[in-house]
Amino acid sequence: MKAQFVIGVLLPFVVQSAILAEDGPADFTTTVQPFFAKYCLRCHDAKKQEGKFRLDTMSRDFTDMLVAQRWGEVLFRVNSGEMPPKDEPQPESAELGEVAEWISTGINEGRAARMARRGPVAHYRLSRDEYANTVFDLLGVHFDARMPGALNEDPRWHGFDRIGSMLTLSPSHVDRYFQAAETVLDQAFPTQQPTAAKTRQAASAPDRWLIYPGLHHGNINVRTPGLYRIRIQLSAVPSFKGRLARLSLWNNSLKRAEVGRDVRASEDEPTIVEIEAWLPQGGFQLTNEAPGKLDDGPTPSATFKTVTRLKDYRPNPTGYKLFTHDGKSIFPLLIVDWFEYEGPILTEEDQRKREGLFPVGQVSNLPADSKQMQDLLKEARECLNRFIARAWRRPAADSEVDRYLKIVESELAAGENFRTASLAAMTAVLTSKNFYYIVEGSPAAERDRLTDWELASRLSFFLWSSMPDEELFEAARKGDLHKPEVLKAQLQRMLADRKIDRFTSAFPQQWLQLHRVGMFPPDPELYPDYDKWLEQSMVRETTGFFGEVFSSNLSIREFLSSDWTVVNSRLSMHYGMTLSDQPGFHRVALRPDDHRGGLLTHASVLSLTSDGTRHRPVHRGVWVSEAIFGRTPPPPPPNVEPLEPTPSDKLKATIRDQLEAHATHSTCASCHRKIDPLGFAFDNYDAIGRWRTTEFVAGGQGEDPPVNASGSFSDGRTYGGPDEFKQLLTSDLDRFATAFIEHLATFALRRVMTIDDAARIKAIAQAGKEDDYRLRTLVEQFVTSDLFQRR
Amino acid sequence: MIPATKRLLAILLFLFASSVFARAQDQQDYVPEAGKFAPVAKSRYIAGELVYIDSVNRRGGIRLEGDEKSRYHAGPVHWFALLPYATVWSNGALAEIRDIPIGTHVHGYFFVPPKGEEDTIPPLPEHQKQFTIPHNHAVSLEDDFSFYQRRGQAWKVVSIDAEKEKINVEPTGTKSKDGINTPYTFDIDHRTRIWKSRRLSDLTDIQVGATVQLNLGWAQGWGDREFRVGEIWLDDESRRFATEFQRRMHVRYERQRWSPAWIDHVEAFDFGGGIVTLTLFEVDQEIIDDFRKEKNDRIAVAVAEKTLRTWFHRADRKFCKLVEWKEVDNPPLGSSGIQLRLKFVELLAGYEPGACVRVKCDSWKFVTMPSEERLKSRADQERSAKMVLPW
Repeated sequence: MKAQFVIGVLLPFVVQSAILAEDGPADFTTTVQPFFAKYCLRCHDAKKQEGKFRLDTMSRDFTDMLVAQRWGEVLFRVNSGEMPPKDEPQPESAELGEVAEWISTGINEGRAARMARRGPVAHYRLSRDEYANTVFDLLGVHFDARMPGALNEDPRWHGFDRIGSMLTLSPSHVDRYFQAAETVLDQAFPTQQPTAAKTRQAASAPDRWLIYPGLHHGNINVRTPGLYRIRIQLSAVPSFKGRLARLSLWNNSLKRAEVGRDVRASEDEPTIVEIEAWLPQGGFQLTNEAPGKLDDGPTPSATFKTVTRLKDYRPNPTGYKLFTHDGKSIFPLLIVDWFEYEGPILTEEDQRKREGLFPVGQVSNLPADSKQMQDLLKEARECLNRFIARAWRRPAADSEVDRYLKIVESELAAGENFRTASLAAMTAVLTSKNFYYIVEGSPAAERDRLTDWELASRLSFFLWSSMPDEELFEAARKGDLHKPEVLKAQLQRMLADRKIDRFTSAFPQQWLQLHRVGMFPPDPELYPDYDKWLEQSMVRETTGFFGEVFSSNLSIREFLSSDWTVVNSRLSMHYGMTLSDQPGFHRVALRPDDHRGGLLTHASVLSLTSDGTRHRPVHRGVWVSEAIFGRTPPPPPPNVEPLEPTPSDKLKATIRDQLEAHATHSTCASCHRKIDPLGFAFDNYDAIGRWRTTEFVAGGQGEDPPVNASGSFSDGRTYGGPDEFKQLLTSDLDRFATAFIEHLATFALRRVMTIDDAARIKAIAQAGKEDDYRLRTLVEQFVTSDLFQRR
Repeated sequence: MIPATKRLLAILLFLFASSVFARAQDQQDYVPEAGKFAPVAKSRYIAGELVYIDSVNRRGGIRLEGDEKSRYHAGPVHWFALLPYATVWSNGALAEIRDIPIGTHVHGYFFVPPKGEEDTIPPLPEHQKQFTIPHNHAVSLEDDFSFYQRRGQAWKVVSIDAEKEKINVEPTGTKSKDGINTPYTFDIDHRTRIWKSRRLSDLTDIQVGATVQLNLGWAQGWGDREFRVGEIWLDDESRRFATEFQRRMHVRYERQRWSPAWIDHVEAFDFGGGIVTLTLFEVDQEIIDDFRKEKNDRIAVAVAEKTLRTWFHRADRKFCKLVEWKEVDNPPLGSSGIQLRLKFVELLAGYEPGACVRVKCDSWKFVTMPSEERLKSRADQERSAKMVLPW
């Protein structure tokens, strides 16, 4: 009965859209049961029970893991063509597809329900990015959680890295939390506060340092981690094709460029660039982060690295070619006069964060019963009380504070000085589960509403990916945060805070699975123009686009189709658009000839759905299904043969041609019929998102075949290319809005949405529709909704 | 308004001036250009004895054949440089200038210096200015064996007088346009190297009526165009062997120094690398076949000077992949007719249109060149750009 209920409610939810109206899972009674009766039950009913397996009595409670596993077995046998046996009547492709999808949907829903299941107390571990943000907001210490050896990478569920049921805790996590806490506290409360020192290095005028791609210059020696200000006077000459120079800091230890920025300044009018960056201990150099790294053999040593005037640069013939025959710079070049760096800089804001958290008294060797020691311990207790309350994001109980004060006392008794003893207690606070877990619920009583303290954390981790600030704590302390007017006021305040950038960066990255960009590095032979900065620019286009929709409160329709985007010079070049000569990202209007508009034509999305060599229409279809429709298609059957490269004696064929041949098998056709059209629409874009009209095919005979980006949905509606496809999507905005809110809720509530949430999600969508699904309005509707405030 | 008669007169004057200018241009010397193979038809034929070579920089000096003037007695050696694509032939096969022994009579075709290279050969001192021959850049240099054999001409022995040390010969086969193409008497003596089959022989083996090839040299009557036979090949076998022996030397030399070429075009990518199109100079077919058989797609290209000298070529090179192989029929003198389009990940500054390079097949072993052959500094480079006259 329970399973029937689930299906009954799910159907209206999933099948509400027009586009994939017939994509929803089939009904058990009218479709699945007759299928079993026709093809399966002759062997798997009460009488025969072939293989000791009965299908007629199988439970449909997919929330039961054992039941779901048995259904998974059925799906495997049916999908792989093992069942029904070859000598039995064989089902049609469409019948097979409907049954496979019914089982798959059931399994997915069951898994979601299990993942979303909450006990009296739910624990949601912080992701490593949230951990870093939290220690920064708590103590003003920048901790690079992604640095090798820092914190473990978090497992993801469809792109989301903050799903509670996924974020388990292992001994390795505990060990790294301990090391992280020690590092953070040591920086926050050093034995002696480091003073900011300034160091300057300059070229011997009139010579200037010439930094070509791949060359590192200078020596920025960071002894104490912290915030550093680096000023560089330089000229930055674009390449003869207009590519801007990119000045970055090269991390000698990690062998990677960091904290870069595009620069343009003529040779005659150098500019001064100022970079503020959190730097770990180690050595850094200035570098030119343009593609075309020049570092082979003895050639760098034969290439002159100083220049007075570019026009007078007389290269050694065995050095690198930096200029064209007519004297133009092949690469973007940096020509540096001097640089200086200063740090570590302690800002007043960061200092304020630490106030009142660490005992001021630093006297050692005091008798334990002396008044001075008693005063110190009293101060330590007050500090710990404040620290625990902020770190754990709730008031600290006296017994909890006493427990940590005991650590101070025992350390003192062991002969440690007061600073070490205090840091030991604070380290224990930061390695407590109350710090790295968001805790919701009470062991004493079942409740489905959040307390104000819990609500404050949910709100801040949703919008700031971090702990609440003092105002939010104060609202929680007063106990009126849950009141709509207070909640709305806090929301508006939070949206106006610059920390909201964390939301406009983190949410689109997780929703759109942008972590997959560059996961399969494009083949340098096929895509020599691809470089790390392009890869980063791709992601920043998408997050910048999201940020623009958010800050301008535009409709989420823009995500599907827009006549503008956000690009920098590097992406303009990649897209073949008019090059901007201004550094940084800008909103630009699109022309029809640009063939862009909306998220689906972003190079990030188009490359994350490729494999580094070829575009993958099926992956693109699955991505559209998940990100836009909120629906995960059934997994592929086992033993699927990969697409082979075109043999040299055969005519060149597009991937689409090969897929269509592949999908003639009945087991494949049922799913591909629904997935592939969602991907074929973007066949005009190659594996790194460049527009094309013919598809490059390695091997094979004849010319590269023309791209066919037309297709039809299973309901019969057709499109002629990506623009018409996007029109079809925008005509069904309600469905996208529902899926979008589901993603938003998954991100905020840190759990998978289930059928139990469907009505509330739909209600938020309907409320948002009145304001044309404007993004900020949707966020406000969501935050003030019942769904957001429930456990 | 200009009257019609005046207009007509102006037109006639213009046409006249144009035709005079055009004739003057035709008579001007052809100036070779970087990136273009000079047409040998516009060159000047010069012959004489090779008396000096700078094998590293491919330069030398020829004592010119005698003339009616006082050149033999008072004239200077004709100092010359080889154009980068110049071919040198010895014993009927491609060679380096070092392969032709000093004292060998050679035939060359010469041009005036390419633009910008007028100082490569220093000017003669004032007292010898009247002997100046501006054509001092050779496009080919051949010994007599190669020169006549390649043009289809041989010598038939008419008579030999061992006592008087004279041999009378007459041309046979296709007569050469330049050089000696009439019956001639040469000096010959017991110092002459006489080749029969694969062995050295003596004067008694020279048979009247035999068809031979000769290499000439200085004789007492040089000023009166008299020559001594320095070397003589009496039969086909001896000539085949001599040619094959020289060919082997040439092939080995090219595999060690790499095959010379110049760059026709460079298309640089702004993300590194680029496409370089180059034309291989004339080399033996075996070298071309090496390139044709190249399997590993790992050709190396080192920058070279106009003298074809390289720096430290085994290290100062970039690898590339062959994108296109193009062949032209009837290539000009000095060109192999083979053009390669090569794709590089990194480009060197010396990869410039018109610049010379040396190209290596992957199958050839890397060899370190002797120190004196390598350029090691900009000073070396500048010094090697001009010929230093030995006397």
